[in-house]
Amino acid sequence: MKLRRVLLPEGVQDLLINDCIYRRQIEDKFMENFKQSGYMEVNSPALEYYDLFSRDYLANNGDNTFKLVDTNGKILVLRPDCTVPIVRMLSTKMKDFVFPLRLCYVQDVFRIDEEQAGKRREFRQAGVELFGIGSYKADVEIIIIAIESLKHLGLENFQIDIGQTKLLRGILETTEIEEDEKQLIIQNMENKNLVALNELVERLPIAKDIKSILKQLPKLFGKPEEVLNEINNLPLTPSMKEAVGELEKIYKRIEEYGLGRYIKLDLGMITTLKYYSGVIFKGFTKDLGKVLLSGGRYDGLLKDFDMDIPATGFAFSVNKVTKALKIQRNLEMQGKKHVLILEDENSKATADILNSLRQKGYIAEVNLLKNRKDLEEYIKRREIDEIIKVDKDGNINVVDDLEGYRCRR
Amino acid sequence: MQKVKIAMTKGRLLKHTIKLLEDAGVDCQPLKEDNRKLVFLLPCYNIEAILLKAADVPTYVEHGVVDMGVAGKDVLLEQEKQLYEVIDLKFGKCKFAVAGKPSMKGGKKHLVVATKYPNVAKNHFAQKGQSVEIIKQEGSVELAPLMGLSDVIVDIVETGKTLKENGLIVLEEIADISARLILNEVSYKTKKKEITEIVNLIEKAVDN
Repeated sequence: MKLRRVLLPEGVQDLLINDCIYRRQIEDKFMENFKQSGYMEVNSPALEYYDLFSRDYLANNGDNTFKLVDTNGKILVLRPDCTVPIVRMLSTKMKDFVFPLRLCYVQDVFRIDEEQAGKRREFRQAGVELFGIGSYKADVEIIIIAIESLKHLGLENFQIDIGQTKLLRGILETTEIEEDEKQLIIQNMENKNLVALNELVERLPIAKDIKSILKQLPKLFGKPEEVLNEINNLPLTPSMKEAVGELEKIYKRIEEYGLGRYIKLDLGMITTLKYYSGVIFKGFTKDLGKVLLSGGRYDGLLKDFDMDIPATGFAFSVNKVTKALKIQRNLEMQGKKHVLILEDENSKATADILNSLRQKGYIAEVNLLKNRKDLEEYIKRREIDEIIKVDKDGNINVVDDLEGYRCRR
Repeated sequence: MQKVKIAMTKGRLLKHTIKLLEDAGVDCQPLKEDNRKLVFLLPCYNIEAILLKAADVPTYVEHGVVDMGVAGKDVLLEQEKQLYEVIDLKFGKCKFAVAGKPSMKGGKKHLVVATKYPNVAKNHFAQKGQSVEIIKQEGSVELAPLMGLSDVIVDIVETGKTLKENGLIVLEEIADISARLILNEVSYKTKKKEITEIVNLIEKAVDN
């Protein structure tokens, strides 16, 4: 099968030279932001036991993990998510660590997605997790890191939408409907399937006030002041008021940091993932119809590992951020001067000049080609900025004219 | 005003979509001119309309290359894409149904099902706890039970005329279908003003 030897599996990609430069640039900037904020890098293995991922988690993802069988018959998966393995790490190896514990990562995740739909099955995530603080101030901290990181990358026109899972949960708690029906409401709310949601709400035995809130909720998104105004006009119960109050505090504090303009609220933002327990958020730009980052508070996940530790975190999709930067043409090559050295049997002098050029931060390489025509082609294609000749006595000359070839500066 | 991109389904649904937009006050003259263009500008609300085959509309909306789309619920049920489904446009009405020869009425333990909608069929029978074998078809599904390829079919039924002419009857109804207005999840947030305006216009036109 010759074809199978040269073709790639679906949903994965080679990164050629420039793509690697961009990726490293972007990831370095993310890491710089994370580390400056006190986050420490961790790395989990690509292989984990299938059992690590709870049934709830897998069901919600349609169990789209890549699986392998270990020699002892146990099922392994390629890491479908970064947060769960980090929580595993915390529960086994970092239990006695001092809190707040701030961790960050850049890792590949693997998910089997619909085929032939233009979706990636291997993609990079860069993210942070903040353990041990239940206060809204921890949520504020990571949202600000998200904003500052995107600003640092030069992304424009982006916004962070913040939602609150406690709100809908509080509403559903007041009703006396079946668990299945609650799940249906959550699902239709998440997909803003207003047609089905309205039908469902009308059909169920729910108090009139609550019905009107449930129908309004998916439409309550946008500018924070307007959204808060509208929701506060609805007949809220005390627990709903508290949930909304927390959102308000988060927005106020981000505004005090001078970043309020990046924030929108979305009270209909829901997630079917049960481990999210409070504020959740997502980031977008209008130039790309895809989610660039998502995260939120997930105190519930740690309970699965018998830990009573609050946690909040988020992850960027590095591929999506890269795409958005490309669309906005904000990705630029940080050009370093590229010098080629033509050697003449004085290795000592060549080594010295190579070292001094590289110390200055230039790219410096020694010519390995013999044929002048090949050399000319190489200089042209690699866009070499300067050619230096080292002669027998160790004298250094800048070559302007490669025997008739005008070297570009 | 930012440009809003709409994907429309070619064929049967297009006529209704144009009428709806006109009822909503959008001038659709460019769409009615008979030519082979696939991209149209509707200047009055700064809309760019593109024409696609039904099954491709949700894909374009999910990827965010268009902001909204008009698609049949049949396609949405089959594809289960991540997108917002905000309005029932109330045209293109039909039903998903299980159909077969009248002799199939009592049911059978192991069914062979021919369909253009394998996911819909799979989900329907899974919900009933019935194991079935699905054979994917590209067209003229009614032939499958006649020729003995399958026991029953799962297909959309509008009037039931085709079924009747081929000696088949509806054994079970699965779901009601009509055209829906779907939105890209991100566009709805980032172009809230423009999209909400169009959504509201369409909603009013539907209610009238």
